[in-house]
Amino acid sequence: MRATLDRMQSRLNATPYLLRLGRLFSETVLLEVGGAEYYLTFRDGRLEQIAEGPSRKTPWRFALRTDGEALAQFWQPQPKPGFHDIFGLVKIGRGRIDGDILCLVKNLRFFKDFMALARPVAQMEKLA
Amino acid sequence: MSFEPITGRYLTVTVQGRRQRIYVEMAGTGTPVLCLHTAGADTRQWRHILNDAGLTKDYRFYAFDMPWHGKSLPPEGFQTEEYLLTTEDYIETVLAVSRALGLDRPILAGCSMGGRIALQLAALHGDAFSGFTAIEASDFQPAWYDIDWFHRPDAHGGEMGAALVSANISPHAPDAERWNTLWMFMQSGPGVFRGDLSFYTRDDSLIGRLAQIDATRTPVHLLVGAYDLTCTPEDARRTAAAIPGATCTVMDELGHFPMSEHPNAFRPFFADALARMKVPADV
Repeated sequence: MRATLDRMQSRLNATPYLLRLGRLFSETVLLEVGGAEYYLTFRDGRLEQIAEGPSRKTPWRFALRTDGEALAQFWQPQPKPGFHDIFGLVKIGRGRIDGDILCLVKNLRFFKDFMALARPVAQMEKLA
Repeated sequence: MSFEPITGRYLTVTVQGRRQRIYVEMAGTGTPVLCLHTAGADTRQWRHILNDAGLTKDYRFYAFDMPWHGKSLPPEGFQTEEYLLTTEDYIETVLAVSRALGLDRPILAGCSMGGRIALQLAALHGDAFSGFTAIEASDFQPAWYDIDWFHRPDAHGGEMGAALVSANISPHAPDAERWNTLWMFMQSGPGVFRGDLSFYTRDDSLIGRLAQIDATRTPVHLLVGAYDLTCTPEDARRTAAAIPGATCTVMDELGHFPMSEHPNAFRPFFADALARMKVPADV
């Protein structure tokens, strides 16, 4: 998972339209995958730091919790129904979103496109 | 000259005592079909159907922008109003436009909130139409989100709405049509998506009316995309099962905006639905 996140970080920081969309986004997001915690700290749309948990001290604005198998399906070029979107994961009981949901919704296209960065390159701009 | 066959005109109707200037697009000859767009969008969602020569040779399609949507202006005095669509306003608007167009028992085809109101009309004004194609339509969908998110001074409701509804678009949809579909939400007027969602997520009056619909007299067919998270296949099947005589088809590679997001995949399902809009005696 860490290697995938590192790759997503590189892609994000090299993707001008995402940096433009996220230029006002400076927050820490908790991504929890199968119980493993990853604290993603964004600054002005760039993913500045990926800190692995567990941590009880790191504040975060919102969290996406899911499992590795669901994320693997989410990252397929054409995911099955429910696995095609972060809210789909929630709908089918394979994900949970907590915290400041309004902050997420205000930056929803940016965050969803960031989460899709582990899909094959041709898919990068498909899901917003 | 290579104009598309679609023509657009304006007409004015009176709804709940107020004048509403309505934009209508038309194409084709034959059996009239009145098409209703989803919440937060407009008639452009039907652009591929109205440009489909294989369908327009047998059907005359009419699609109109609801007041506050697309090229239909809000009513006079809107600037101090809170837009909240109601079942009553919506029903009266559809009937008023149908009358103003001089349509004789058209087929009604609506998507999402348009599908919901199609089923309300099937229950309350079934004789005014010759069939109902309810797309991504169900008895009731409570909101899992806060509809107020989509109208606030510190954020762009259209962009947030588009990002939210993108969850309902199939990954099989061609990119260009995915983004054309989302653009309409981005363009939606301030508070309009919220006001539509108020109708869609708070009015559950259809549940008690489903059994009143007589689909053996006026056909009712539901179409639902497998990628629709808002109106799931389970929601549509449950709704169809509560309507005596209704039928339902699940569209495997489609989402909540099938006619707009993936027109080629939608077309055969819609053609089949239109073919079902004949009562047995007519066939």
